[in-house]
Amino acid sequence: MEVKNTRRWVARGPNVWLVAIAALLLAALLRLMLHPLLGPFMPSGAFFIAAALVEYYCGLGPAMLVMVLGLGLADYMFVPPYFQIEVITRRDIMLAVIYPITTLIVIVLIERLRRAQFRAELMALVAQSRYEMILRHDNEQAIVRRTLDETHRLVLHLAQYNKNLILIQALEREAGSSHGAALAGMRLPAPNEIAPGPRFGELDPDELKRFRNGGLAPGHVWVRFKQGDAPPQRIECLCERFTTHAGDFLVLRLGD
Amino acid sequence: MEQAQDAAAISRCGDHAVLLLHGLSSSPLEMRYLARFLHAEGFTVSVPVLEGYSAGTVEGVMEQWVDAAVAEYDKLAAEYTRVSVCGLSIGAALALAVACRRNSLQALVLLSLTLSYDGWAIPWYRFLLNLAYYTPLRHLWRYRESSPYGLRNEALRSKVERAMKRGDISEVGPATISLPALHEAQRLARSVRGQLSFIKNDCLIIHAIDDETSNPRNAQFVARQIGTPFLRTIWLDDSYHMITSDNERETVARGTAIFLRESEAISRGDNSAGLVVSKALARRLRHLSGLAGAKR
Repeated sequence: MEVKNTRRWVARGPNVWLVAIAALLLAALLRLMLHPLLGPFMPSGAFFIAAALVEYYCGLGPAMLVMVLGLGLADYMFVPPYFQIEVITRRDIMLAVIYPITTLIVIVLIERLRRAQFRAELMALVAQSRYEMILRHDNEQAIVRRTLDETHRLVLHLAQYNKNLILIQALEREAGSSHGAALAGMRLPAPNEIAPGPRFGELDPDELKRFRNGGLAPGHVWVRFKQGDAPPQRIECLCERFTTHAGDFLVLRLGD
Repeated sequence: MEQAQDAAAISRCGDHAVLLLHGLSSSPLEMRYLARFLHAEGFTVSVPVLEGYSAGTVEGVMEQWVDAAVAEYDKLAAEYTRVSVCGLSIGAALALAVACRRNSLQALVLLSLTLSYDGWAIPWYRFLLNLAYYTPLRHLWRYRESSPYGLRNEALRSKVERAMKRGDISEVGPATISLPALHEAQRLARSVRGQLSFIKNDCLIIHAIDDETSNPRNAQFVARQIGTPFLRTIWLDDSYHMITSDNERETVARGTAIFLRESEAISRGDNSAGLVVSKALARRLRHLSGLAGAKR
């Protein structure tokens, strides 16, 4: 896939050009310092290195600038006769041919590699974003699957313990935060709404009040049942929680 | 233009309001799809026409744009518990400016953030426009939008091209932008660049890697500099600049809605909204929070 922005892998602006000029001057200075040692040997070496480094950090335009100005400086300062432009020798011609060709090859290759690197970095960013999206999607699916399993368990539970059921209580859930209900587009039950089971009528009225006030929790629960005129009898019951796509429910039934 | 004015409205729904800021010299039409999606997801959505900034108003300076956006934010903040700000292109820079002035905002969503015009379709001589601003050309010359109009989707692009030829505005923006508006946009970008580290609000950045107007470096720069502890970045590869209208607009809208819900849930201390069942996602989120911690 082509990414056209790879051509712009380096930031625009005056800074890259200033860096290029600084690199050119530094290369000229270093070559000048080494001139007593090197003499006419490799007059363009420092400019070649400067152009390659500028290409790596600042891009094609500034590197070309370093190459062109470097050619002029190398020829003028480091090819004998020094600091004269009137005389053109074999050395001048060699420099004018070999230096631009080698430098061009290197900076063009670096440019291609830098573009490829930038493209790879951009594609990696997209891949990471996609990976996260897939993970979130999987997570949503897992939540939906879990709530469906719970719904299934609730239906089986209701069928199995139908005769022992005392009540089903709907739990309040934040409307905006619901994965299941929001996805399914279903209306949530009213907070603490209680649906009676077959044994609901036997429940002590105080217990009902307690459950309405949020006194019911999953686990084993001791519940008082009416005994006609006799004092209420305490019986161990079982309360289970079901997180379904339509909301959360507590189911209270007589223990086994 | 009438269509653009009609698109500016508040759609009331939940207690979380989202202020949507369109691009430079453009209209609320740009945000229409996103606005509808967010409204359907239970957010109150406001897509205002800003005096001095939007198409059809008298052009103003960037301070006027920021004042107008902040005034819209204040209006929503007076009515709703949570207000988030979402901007497209220069609208994203405007959203950052609002965040600098109102640190109480819930979350920031920066779409195709433009702090400098440096995408692949911007000509190399673009810098000359900055100089032209100081000449009489500023009143005579206007920057004319050209193909691909921020759109990778070719069918939509042809439709927009026809609309641009017929009138002065389309659903992806104006046909031309004046030099003073571009100059003010640049001033706005410069002013928010230096203040990014002071922004601590939750932030989502969505950017296309092949954005022809704003290079991905704009988004990377903000991601590096912004001071928020909760930052998410989504990169797109099948869109250009107008990500709210292009091929991946559904991804943009869905990503925005999910992020706003999560930001809301985190601030409320409610874990159920960000319920993580998938172990792979949990590992990924731990990895990301580790990276964010290392950045801080």
